[in-house]
Amino acid sequence: MADAMVGSEPTLDDEAARRGGPWGFITFWGLHAWVVAYSVVMLSAFFIQFVMGEFPCPLCMLQRYGMILATLGALFVIMQARRGELTTARYAQGLGMGLVGVLAGASVSVRQIALHILPGDPGYGEPFLRLHLYTWAFVTFAIVMIYIGVMLMLMPRGIPEAPAVGTAARKVSTVIIWVFIGVIAANVIAIIFLEGFAAVLPDDPTSYNLIDQLTGR
Amino acid sequence: MILLLVIALLVWRGAQRGMVIALWVVGVVALIGLFRFHVTSTLDLSF
Repeated sequence: MADAMVGSEPTLDDEAARRGGPWGFITFWGLHAWVVAYSVVMLSAFFIQFVMGEFPCPLCMLQRYGMILATLGALFVIMQARRGELTTARYAQGLGMGLVGVLAGASVSVRQIALHILPGDPGYGEPFLRLHLYTWAFVTFAIVMIYIGVMLMLMPRGIPEAPAVGTAARKVSTVIIWVFIGVIAANVIAIIFLEGFAAVLPDDPTSYNLIDQLTGR
Repeated sequence: MILLLVIALLVWRGAQRGMVIALWVVGVVALIGLFRFHVTSTLDLSF
């Protein structure tokens, strides 16, 4: 009976053999849209941190951490596709990493939303478009959850297909990846300045600990 | 966060999948640990 089922239903490998075409193109660049979106979100957070002078609390940094953790799943898939090593199983692994990452980040957002949920609470930091940044973070996590669900529904026909080496599209992909890696590196530097010589971030930061410690303030 | 940077560079360089996923899992555990460390109060809320 089981053999008959396998004989009548296409296997994952059969499906994978039909991949490519517009779906492969859409899913490959969809993953880049995910990387770009979170890079822009974190660059915006830097703008608010450095230009508007708002210091990120530990929960804010943990939400950035969740965004990066999730986006590493997208990066994992993109790099496998660029090397021509991407299989259905590895694609599912990358999407799974993304899903766990956004669930972890969303848990932190929900906690921070709950902290400020009571009527009259001003919330942490200045709102942007009527919502606080941790609420926007939750919205982004929810969008990525939906995106991953849709990608799983499209699988295996929508296995990402990378453009050929040397093409302009390939170079765009490389730039997007390096911007994301640069954003992670910038977060590392920001955390070092916020923490100073402490092991963890201060609960309610009002200055950069490293500068205070080095200047003896 | 340094761990996440290392993972991103390993993914870029095409390191072994097992190592990348193992380090990524360590990253998830670290997030849970940091969350547990920073969340010190219970919220008096009921839904």
